[in-house]
Amino acid sequence: MNKVPTICPYCGCGCGLYLHIEYDNIIGVSPVRNHPVNNGSLCVKGWNCFEFIQHPDRLRYPLIKEGSSFRQASWDEVLKLIAARFSRIKESSGSDSIGIVSSAKCTNEENYLMMKFARAVIGTNNIDHCARLCHSSTVGGLAAAFGSGAMTNSINEIANARLLFVIGSNTTEQHPMIGMHMLDAVDKGAILVVADPRRTQIAEFAHIHLRHRPGTDVALLNSIMNVMIREGLVDILFVKRRTENFDSFKDTVMKYPPEVAERITGVSAEDIKKVARVYATEKRSMLFYSMGITQHITGVDNVCACANLAMLTAHIGLPMTGLNPLRGQNNVQGACDMGALPDLYSGYQKVADPKLRKKFEMAWRVKLPSTPGLTLIEMFDSALKRDIRAMYIMGENPVISNPDASHVWDALKSLDFLVVQDTFLSDTAELADVVLPAATFAEKDGTFTNTERRVQKIKAAIKPFGESKPDWEIISALSRIMGYDMNYRATHEIMEEIALLTPIYRGILHHRLDNNYGLQWPCPDVTHPGTPFLHRMKFAKGLGTFMPVTFVPPAEIPDKKFPFILTTGRTYFHYHTGTMCRRTSTLEREYPECLMEINPRDADSLRIKNMDKVRVSSKRGAIIVTVFVTERTPEGIVFIPFHFKEAAVNLLTNPALDPSAKIPEYKVCAVNIEPVK
Amino acid sequence: MRNSLVLDKNYLSYWLRQIRQKMSLIAPIRVGNLGVVLKTVENIHEIELNCPASIPSVKEFLFPQKEDMFRFSEGTVDILRNDTKRLIFGVRSCDISAIALLDRFFGENFVDDYYMSRRENTIFISIVCNNPEPTCFCLGLGTGPFLKSNFDIQLTDIGDRYIVETYSKKGLDLIKDYYYLFSKPKKSDYETQYEILLSSQASFEKRINLENARQKILIERISDPFWDWIGRRCFECGGCVYECPLCTCFNVLDRVKSEGSGTRFRIWDACMFKGFTKIAGNIWPAEKKGTRIKQWYFHKLLYYPDHFGKFGCVGCGRCTITCPGHIDMATIVYKIDIGDRRRR
Amino acid sequence: MKTKIKGIYIPSKAEIVEIIDMTPVIKLFKIKPKRQFRYKPGQFVMVSLWGIGEVPISITSTHGLHEYIELCIRRVGHVTSAINLLKPSAKIGIRGPFGNTFPIENARGKDVLFVAGGLGIVPLRPLITSIINKKNNFKRIALIYGSCNPTEILFKDDINVWQKKGMHITLTVERKDKGWKGNVGLVTEYLKRPKISFRNAYAFICGPPIMIKATINGLSLIGVHEDNIFTTLEAHMKCGVGKCGHCYVDGKYICTDGPIFSYAEIKKHSLFPS
Repeated sequence: MNKVPTICPYCGCGCGLYLHIEYDNIIGVSPVRNHPVNNGSLCVKGWNCFEFIQHPDRLRYPLIKEGSSFRQASWDEVLKLIAARFSRIKESSGSDSIGIVSSAKCTNEENYLMMKFARAVIGTNNIDHCARLCHSSTVGGLAAAFGSGAMTNSINEIANARLLFVIGSNTTEQHPMIGMHMLDAVDKGAILVVADPRRTQIAEFAHIHLRHRPGTDVALLNSIMNVMIREGLVDILFVKRRTENFDSFKDTVMKYPPEVAERITGVSAEDIKKVARVYATEKRSMLFYSMGITQHITGVDNVCACANLAMLTAHIGLPMTGLNPLRGQNNVQGACDMGALPDLYSGYQKVADPKLRKKFEMAWRVKLPSTPGLTLIEMFDSALKRDIRAMYIMGENPVISNPDASHVWDALKSLDFLVVQDTFLSDTAELADVVLPAATFAEKDGTFTNTERRVQKIKAAIKPFGESKPDWEIISALSRIMGYDMNYRATHEIMEEIALLTPIYRGILHHRLDNNYGLQWPCPDVTHPGTPFLHRMKFAKGLGTFMPVTFVPPAEIPDKKFPFILTTGRTYFHYHTGTMCRRTSTLEREYPECLMEINPRDADSLRIKNMDKVRVSSKRGAIIVTVFVTERTPEGIVFIPFHFKEAAVNLLTNPALDPSAKIPEYKVCAVNIEPVK
Repeated sequence: MRNSLVLDKNYLSYWLRQIRQKMSLIAPIRVGNLGVVLKTVENIHEIELNCPASIPSVKEFLFPQKEDMFRFSEGTVDILRNDTKRLIFGVRSCDISAIALLDRFFGENFVDDYYMSRRENTIFISIVCNNPEPTCFCLGLGTGPFLKSNFDIQLTDIGDRYIVETYSKKGLDLIKDYYYLFSKPKKSDYETQYEILLSSQASFEKRINLENARQKILIERISDPFWDWIGRRCFECGGCVYECPLCTCFNVLDRVKSEGSGTRFRIWDACMFKGFTKIAGNIWPAEKKGTRIKQWYFHKLLYYPDHFGKFGCVGCGRCTITCPGHIDMATIVYKIDIGDRRRR
Repeated sequence: MKTKIKGIYIPSKAEIVEIIDMTPVIKLFKIKPKRQFRYKPGQFVMVSLWGIGEVPISITSTHGLHEYIELCIRRVGHVTSAINLLKPSAKIGIRGPFGNTFPIENARGKDVLFVAGGLGIVPLRPLITSIINKKNNFKRIALIYGSCNPTEILFKDDINVWQKKGMHITLTVERKDKGWKGNVGLVTEYLKRPKISFRNAYAFICGPPIMIKATINGLSLIGVHEDNIFTTLEAHMKCGVGKCGHCYVDGKYICTDGPIFSYAEIKKHSLFPS
């Protein structure tokens, strides 16, 4: 039996684990002891992360659509076909008529190649990935405030913090191993403040639980800061020396006394004052947030409000003190770092900056487009307008994951040519003209960057399933056919190129990561040990900027016709669109069907019982789900997870976007509920 | 019969290399900075002799997390069974004690052929723990740090040499052909060994008394709110069950390759999951986390002693390492023992 | 020490020879196993459908009467739904028989009462048949059988035969239809109907959990000794041989220590699913 160290492919925690191999079969998993993230533990998904790898549903060979069904094809045939079609569309309608979707499930190397493929081979900046749907507001908001949009601290610092403020994150279920460190901190006497409309598992341990109405985070945070300013809890020295724009920010915040916020948020003014006092007075305060903050039309505002809070109290730039966005996918941090974004090259270097563009042009030996491309949601809109004619989607399932799913479906149907590269025949792949079989994390080398910026190595444990190939091999083979020479013998050569062009990754090379705990960027040279916490002494952009933000209600508020607020999210046992976890027996058995959480009082008034079926409808569509009556969810709010294609909640969600980050508002939409007989 | 010999440490790799010609060799190997794991040895010099006691248990070598049982095709069955001859080197006493119990469990009444096939072809060389970890508590259970019986071969590190004890015939067979490598122990060797055993026993940090907890459960009838309180901290990861060298529950599933043919396999399952006891027709008998946790502890503390005369715990402390909520055997037993019923 | 049994997980082949529709969701399958097959009343088999899975099913036929065995299966989970779609001559796999049997010998010379609810008649049927065939060994024999409605009364032919052979039979339905002239209500309302000596009687019960609970309570109240009340329990099972652990409750494996337990044991081990 061999044991291959690798990284868990589910959430952004980036837990270290071993895959156990017997005769080229994966027969088990065990956690890495003393790993800085998981410390010998794993969550249920980690313990069962191997079962889907050799599932018979895996794509075995490339597929070409003929009529309404697929036929088997050879690699040679499909790659030539794709190259020919892409080239033709590029000639006839221009490079910008092609959209590329990269993947937060793929390695850094693959995301880098995909972004290079889009920019150097196709010649477009139309590249994006699912970070648009989870943390684009973080990337935008924190870049404006601090100059760098990532978790400022490390996971293993959490246990020694004195105060944890968790807002909009169901940490124990969505980032279980970070939740574990939080419980450790609470055991050691830290104060835990949770702001979440739902009574999640972590909220049960909270000393103060703020159950604000969905979408009122700005009002809540502003009023907390209002109390701080009025009660003199501000760190004046820090504000003076290290930040700018305090005065205009102060003017805005003064409009949100706790009594006003109480009316907007539903949280008592007393609780707001309490939180302001403990957060400001405790040293070593860490603030955590996740989708509950970002997935709103005010996503960037919410993030800015969090950043303001951290700056106002000087809770940043020290160990165990900072602002920590918890990233969702295993490599969503890496995919952003690698520049799978329409306006940025790897390492957050701006496409619009001529000097930086010149650097990439010289390295890649081609002329690069200068205007930022389309974001993920915009690509689908453009497809409907026929501005985008072809798409290349790697490892994503937008038909299930994007808001207003039927709109996405229409958009993909209207394309001239769609290539989907995935491990399973996802719902998106079923619409494709060509499907390329990709290897999973267990079948390729590369690196993942977890939420705390830790770049970790994954290792091929077995041969790729059937004829499937690692994504980086597919992309480079396609580029070669399209006349751009991408010659990499192995992934470490790609990493060398990344290091060369990306200052924050300059010292990160595979040989430093092998059988090790990884390196946290920024890592400016090959002897640098990595950076456990950011903004020490100085913000990445120099002075931190206070961004005044005002409360804007959600795009859709309940009315007579649609009286309930629907909020969406994940469950502990499943992950995103379920391509992997729903093929894992233990996970599927634990949570086999879509359950809508509803408060007992609402259930009573609707005359529905636990496990009844109901029809949930919004302005955009309707689904049938089973009811789970629970006190977890407050009155007037229902919660539906988005894993289940048979009850695809994204048929209901509102595609209203944040004006700058273009993140859709998954967390609030108005719905109606009727019992089904 | 227990039989003692002495092996110069310099001869160990030669001996193992000779044995490896006959069977595959599994031993603790260091994986860079990540720690030590048990895996098939490629280079004998890589074997980590000073490995921590807490590396994952050997259970998976006898009862893997996922094991194919048979292939089926058009109703004909092709039984899959692993009968590779293996030597597992560097195992600890707690694991050997656990295997003795697993042998009884899988071997009684209905014989589990898959376990037995692997078991009969596996020999263990265990090492006396002279450096128990802070999480270990085998001492109070008599399952370690050294064994007096029921092992194949047991090594005690006495500085530059090992005292090599054999107990089973399998163990004796491994030594028989290589007597020239071994010598008779001197009286001073026995004395050194005795001192090492004493110092090992003295270095345990945890003293956990399972019998006290058992009595408390039987007499005081620990109430359900206690278990619900514990359940709040449960992450439902199943880690305690997966890591436990004595947990044996599994699920059986079919994986279809093409119409009518495929593989039936079994995969570790855990009573910590609410779907574990689910009955068709949407009946979930153990919906509360507390109920499931209680079942696990009752199994180990009450039912095991009733059935096997021994606790279903060997004190390896792996649940302590792996439990993200810190509601492991040592913690809970301690809480029950001292009567800690705090609500937070 | 019992003899050790090997090859426990490998199903042997069996062929469906006949299928009888009992109700829209319940079918009776006559199955011919390839190998010799000996079983006792109350035992169950693991029925395997290749690629779908295995389920425990009670045997409802009596050993020695036919070449085939009879399984009465209701469509509930995904395996039973798949079985429901099968046609005669389909090949399935079976393992077993597993589980214990009813302690018939203890009831010798005593009154015997059977209480069945719905599909609960299935495991009781072979027991009733074998007791009726040795009727002289027992005193009075009675059956109380409750169904949802008259169309869901199973094994009507058998019931007629039993009645002819001298069994006291009480049928009841929860909801009557036009043609029904018999009793209406739950079985618990008719427990005192049979004229037997409850103090010395043996009672065998099977049905849905709520019905079992209520019946046991009723019978203990009217004087049946709790050691003499037996019922069969249902649990999630994967192996049938006490290895997989799914049916393990309070130190008892439902599959090997049961599925038949006396009320005394059930009380001692709190085996009822809550």
